[in-house]
Amino acid sequence: MLELRNITRAYELGGERAGVFGVSLEVPKACLAVLAGPSGSGKTTLLQLAGLLDAPDEGEVRLDGETVSALPERARCNLRLRRLGFVFQAFNLVPVLSALENVMLPLQLQGLAEPEARGRAETALDRVGLSDRLHHRPGQLSGGQQQRAAIARALAPEPLLVLADEPTASLDHAHGGPLMDLMAALAQERGVTFLVASHDPAVIARAHRVFRLADGRLVSQD
Amino acid sequence: MILARLALRNLLRQRRRTALTLMVIVAGFLALSLAGGFMAQTFQGLADAAIRGGLGHLQVLPPSAMEGDEAQSLEKALPDGEALAARLRQDPAVAEVLPRIQFMGLLSTGPKSVAFLGTAVDPILEPKYMASAEALKDGAKAPGGAGSRWLSPAPAAREVILGVGLARALGASVGSSLTLMSTTRDGALNAVDVDVVGFQDLGLRELNDRFLTVSLATAGQLLDAGPARSRLSIVLKRPQDTATEQTRLQALLPGADLKPWFELASFYRQVKLLYFAIFGFMGLVLFLVVLLATANTLLMSVMERVREFGVLRAMGLQPGQLLALLQWEGAFLGLMGSVLGMVTTLLLRAGLNALHLEMPAPPGTSHGYELSIHFVPLVYTLVALGLQATLQVSALFPGLKAARLRIVEALRHV
Repeated sequence: MLELRNITRAYELGGERAGVFGVSLEVPKACLAVLAGPSGSGKTTLLQLAGLLDAPDEGEVRLDGETVSALPERARCNLRLRRLGFVFQAFNLVPVLSALENVMLPLQLQGLAEPEARGRAETALDRVGLSDRLHHRPGQLSGGQQQRAAIARALAPEPLLVLADEPTASLDHAHGGPLMDLMAALAQERGVTFLVASHDPAVIARAHRVFRLADGRLVSQD
Repeated sequence: MILARLALRNLLRQRRRTALTLMVIVAGFLALSLAGGFMAQTFQGLADAAIRGGLGHLQVLPPSAMEGDEAQSLEKALPDGEALAARLRQDPAVAEVLPRIQFMGLLSTGPKSVAFLGTAVDPILEPKYMASAEALKDGAKAPGGAGSRWLSPAPAAREVILGVGLARALGASVGSSLTLMSTTRDGALNAVDVDVVGFQDLGLRELNDRFLTVSLATAGQLLDAGPARSRLSIVLKRPQDTATEQTRLQALLPGADLKPWFELASFYRQVKLLYFAIFGFMGLVLFLVVLLATANTLLMSVMERVREFGVLRAMGLQPGQLLALLQWEGAFLGLMGSVLGMVTTLLLRAGLNALHLEMPAPPGTSHGYELSIHFVPLVYTLVALGLQATLQVSALFPGLKAARLRIVEALRHV
């Protein structure tokens, strides 16, 4: 489903060369895959390349058999809007919108009419257990609730692939574990592929596949 | 519409900053629309003064009247002005025609003589359509002006009304006897004895020092004018039709020129140009202030939302949609600012007008006037549109900055 072929993306960080170098990996459909490794190993860079937020210096990103890394910006935007979902470490919900409106946002940007977007957003929020928090603003939700709302936002457009960058890093253990269980369940029941960047053992323990990175290189996969 | 909603929510999120920005916009609206209302008052006052000061809405002149000066009285005249006036009075669009003779000469008390500019008018029609009564009322307040009255309609009466400056120069008062001297149409020197029946204050010092008014009968005798008249002032039934009536009536007057009042009122045109220059410059400065203040606000707002913009871009928002988001914010600021500005302006205008403030006499004029700021919907509309355009321009730079953010850097932004 997601294939990274010989990806290199280098940049200067504190006078040193950092990034990812010659990474190739493949993630099948409905899989919860984890990019594991210490800080600075290139997890986030690889995730951003897979999510078409950045372009590789070399190599290619293929999604569902199609090379997407060389697409023009407009086409990459459309692809992100319709086929990819994102979950961030800091939740990154739009603070002026309610949980429901946050989840409706990508649907409305896709051009869905408000009633249809509302219905799908309510379903997505219900699935992550937030049906009683629809009209709460992010500031009125706990960290765990915000991250669940972010997952609902990522899933509502029914993407092929959800990319999550350290989704449990801002949550305590009691909330992090159930969140990963939720992702694993969603991957199974909806056939959505998750690629998660994390060094949290609880996340790695729930993964269907783990890619370990060190110094920007893929050192193992299991 | 989701972008519009997002924009509105963003503005409401930063209430204090939005309120400060709105205050700048409201101040700009207030200054521009009040200035516009003041200009409208001034222009209308000057237009009334020109029309009711003797020009009428349209004026019939001899063809060469605007080219050079007259060597002697009635050198440039409508030869049978009275007949022409009678014909024009039959026209359904014309309310009245006021024949006039303009002449010059010397006014003498015997030992002392002063040059004058005179206008001869119909003593019956003139007070009905022109501002003679107001000028006379103001003139009566001058020393020696007590008991001022308008010219007698009797054809045999030989009377004069003097500008207050001219009267002062001669030491004349109401009831004094003076001698008017001028040349006839044939160039012969002639004189007529007249009684001073009133003073007039025309509002301009230069005019007050030289101007006098007599009846057409008195000027007719002095100048041997016969039916000749210098000009015919036409008062229209519908002043708003001045331009169209000028075209229509000109076709009926092959041997004469027909000019609208605004072409003849050079003072009106000069003041209008001056005001447009002054207030135009002021307007530009105000628009610039609003532009910079709002651009600064929107730019600050963008800098505070860099990560949020990164998330929106990651979700698939196109760069152009971020630009549109900032344009919506500018549009809402402009709309709210204009509505608040309009309400504030109307309230302040009502308050200022209720105070009946007396404005000082403008340069070159002899009396002040009451401040009355007009409500001109067109000015309000233009100011609102101008501010709206300014806000859209001011949102452009922050919008472009937001649209050009690199997503990965924006997501790292703290």
